[in-house]
Amino acid sequence: MTHDAVVIGAGLAGLAAAVRLAQEGRSVLVLAKGVGSTHLAPPTIDVLGYSSDGDAVESPARGLAALARKDPEHPYSRTGAETLARALDWWATELPELGYSGGLDSNALLPTAVGAAKPTALVPATMAGGDLRSGGRIAIVGLRGLKDFYPGYVADNLARSVRAAGAAVTVRALDLDPPLDGVRDVGVLGFAARFERPDFREAIVRELRPLVAPGERVGLPAVLGVRETDRVHRELEDGLGKTVFEIATLPPSIPGMRLFEALKRALRRAGGKLVLGVRVVGAETNGRRVEAVVAQTAARRVPYRGRSFLVATGGFASGALELTSDWTVRDTALGLPVRGVPPGDARFLPGYFDRHPFGRVGVEVDERLRPLGANGAVYENVHAAGAIVAGAEPWREASGNGIALATGFAAAEAILEG
Amino acid sequence: VGRLDTEVLVIGGGSTGTGAVRDAAMRGFDTILVERSDLADGTTGRFHGLLHSGGRYVVKDPAAARECVPENAILRRIAADSIEDTGGLFVTTPHDDPDYGDLFVAGCLDTGVPVEEIPASEALRREPRLNPGISRAFLVPDASMDVWKTVWSCARSAEQHGARVLTYHRVLELARSDGRVVGALARNELTGEEVRIHADIVVNATGAWAGQVAALAGCRVEILPGKGIMIAMNHRLVNTVVNRCKLPDDGDILVPIRTVSVIGTTDERIADPDAAEATQDEIDQMLEEGEKLVPGFRAARALRVWTGVRPLFQETSAEDVDTRDVSRSHTLLDHERRDGVAGLLTITGGKTTTFRLMAEVTVDAVCEHLGVERPCRTHLEPLPDSEEGHHYWLGARLASREPIPQSEEIICECELVTRQQLDAAIVRRGTVSLDDIRRTVRLGMGPCQGGFCIYRATGVLHALRHLDTETANTALLDFLQERWKGVHPVLYGDQLRQARLDDWIFQGILDVAHVQR
Repeated sequence: MTHDAVVIGAGLAGLAAAVRLAQEGRSVLVLAKGVGSTHLAPPTIDVLGYSSDGDAVESPARGLAALARKDPEHPYSRTGAETLARALDWWATELPELGYSGGLDSNALLPTAVGAAKPTALVPATMAGGDLRSGGRIAIVGLRGLKDFYPGYVADNLARSVRAAGAAVTVRALDLDPPLDGVRDVGVLGFAARFERPDFREAIVRELRPLVAPGERVGLPAVLGVRETDRVHRELEDGLGKTVFEIATLPPSIPGMRLFEALKRALRRAGGKLVLGVRVVGAETNGRRVEAVVAQTAARRVPYRGRSFLVATGGFASGALELTSDWTVRDTALGLPVRGVPPGDARFLPGYFDRHPFGRVGVEVDERLRPLGANGAVYENVHAAGAIVAGAEPWREASGNGIALATGFAAAEAILEG
Repeated sequence: VGRLDTEVLVIGGGSTGTGAVRDAAMRGFDTILVERSDLADGTTGRFHGLLHSGGRYVVKDPAAARECVPENAILRRIAADSIEDTGGLFVTTPHDDPDYGDLFVAGCLDTGVPVEEIPASEALRREPRLNPGISRAFLVPDASMDVWKTVWSCARSAEQHGARVLTYHRVLELARSDGRVVGALARNELTGEEVRIHADIVVNATGAWAGQVAALAGCRVEILPGKGIMIAMNHRLVNTVVNRCKLPDDGDILVPIRTVSVIGTTDERIADPDAAEATQDEIDQMLEEGEKLVPGFRAARALRVWTGVRPLFQETSAEDVDTRDVSRSHTLLDHERRDGVAGLLTITGGKTTTFRLMAEVTVDAVCEHLGVERPCRTHLEPLPDSEEGHHYWLGARLASREPIPQSEEIICECELVTRQQLDAAIVRRGTVSLDDIRRTVRLGMGPCQGGFCIYRATGVLHALRHLDTETANTALLDFLQERWKGVHPVLYGDQLRQARLDDWIFQGILDVAHVQR
């Protein structure tokens, strides 16, 4: 069959676009080689946390305006601030189970697992209690058996980070010794499963209640269950009589997995389909139109027909783009032209935190998010969104999910406009 | 300024220096070693890990080959636990002259390197990834060696015999009295404190830096620093050391060591041993040569590139010497005879495989100068915790964890470093440098290059040593910078993917760029 839209990639950009298209009555098929970016990082929508100079951005709205003037090649400059604002509203409305708050006026400052104060625009309910702008008293709680969180280190840095941001704060660290039945190396997935058990939650509350002080907020590593997080979060808050918040730590991201599940549900509700385990390796074309993308399965190559296609396969991290050992870059799915590859061996600079010439390599798009070649859009009916789009260094800018959402939403709009 | 007195002061904490301090201590001398950085941080820790059978030198440098033969056997006995008995192959690829094989065998017979020609088909059965076009194959007793472990074991052995090992102590001056060297002024690089060390005799074992140290006593020692680059690939492409059967050239050795394999090397004369960068051309050359040995080499992940600097020495200083042509044999300079400066010996040249021998001839000379006769015993006594016949083997760490997989936190999954091992290393080393810890327990040396374990190690270090935040942050950021130096020139393919994931972890999720330093 021929779908109205075939989306390649099940990260935030691909799934957001797929949900939006399906809600508008389009038949949508999402193909992906596996789960995507959602499982790696927390589901905060970081729109713009840092300027290109590395300064914290207080208001994303103002930061975006400055960016549009300074950097017309940036993905946000393609989608426009108005589309982004609509995308954020839509996102928060369509995913009520994550309980997003925030917006473009002012960035929240969320604690990271080293105790930095990271600016972000849209915050899910389980993390909102960690907003550092208000300062106050905070207890950072570690769990013995979890090697991916160090409360003492978080607390020490956090006190300095928050004071540097101008708020008064007291931060201290607490270590819990939860019942782990003799096991020492539990991991975030193991803790998430345990927090879904009432007896484990009760044991945590019992141990923690006498330790927390009046007026203190309680920060835990982000392991509060995948399926029943609402209940886990509420019971902890009620049991302790305190605001409880999650702090994102190393992958896999438990809150990110919740987002993936929520997006899957939203896609199913809207009538879209998701197929994992499908790697797209080429296309059947007719002039400047793609008729089908071709997937490599274990035994054969399978075409998936569509009227429109969205390439949301990610950048270098996902393997969508590849730098080969002879130093050429290729798009592994459709062979789209790639822009911004620096000449010679000037790919990276000597300082790890330098702004590397290779950092912004990707697929250049027009205002309808169609990949560009030497003579305009490569295909009339192919769009690109997410980390594959050239012109940004999202890990530096704290803009990854924001760009994914803005470009995914804008690509869906472009496809809807036809 | 503090003051220490000793009989023998050894400068340089590479394999030769730690070998010498062990040797001197075992012969009953009161002895001190000073090293400007961490042990094995210079040339020693930057080689490919190959314990030579001597095969590489049998045609071009028979003297070096003859030294390797007994030393290989001795190190297998005394440092068994840091050696993996991989065996070595010399193979004739379609790119190599098939007649060299005959020269090679003749050279082995002449120098005493044990050799056995085996059918090419047998070599391919042993190492299925090798170029299927190989025409001849020779077995030799090459092996791979975790040199950090060897050097630390030497240092520990020396300390057990009463020596003092002072890392992060840089020699600022050599003290002289009546034209004689009588010690050195050193600065603790971590605290800034200076210490005067009085010694009856000073051993300059600083390898490629020997010229700089000898100059402090007004002696001219012309070292020809020969830069070699090496690239670690993310897994063991071969399980036997593989050499091309030809005259030694660039990129013709592949060494399986621990969980990775290392290709090397090049040889380029440089001016300053502290300024040895790997260039794009050299990297391309390694990849190309690797492809000739193991087809598909380019598709494997390159983890890290580094350079080492050979301390090559020729008494005649010639401007246009090709460092490839300088003997790998060692040189002991008696500055009293050579320059009229008593109390100073310089040991340089040589190679890690022969470090024990270099230490022996050096301490023999020390005995002669001090007018005592005490025989060397370093070849008789195994290093601490090493037991003859019990070599390192690849599955050792896994075997010790497997029965009880969740009983302890695995901090570094790539190299199977446990929380207990990390804690012990932090306490034992007393260091706040994660790079020092890396070399001690191989933390962060695997495919993710510290992507996960370095956050964890920072948290552990902070808690265990009660560090202030700045020190902990500096440890983390310094590690990331040091790592970047080695990885960025070889980022391509899946290793670039890995690096991007690491960028997301450190810069995106943790936001380490914005902690207060």
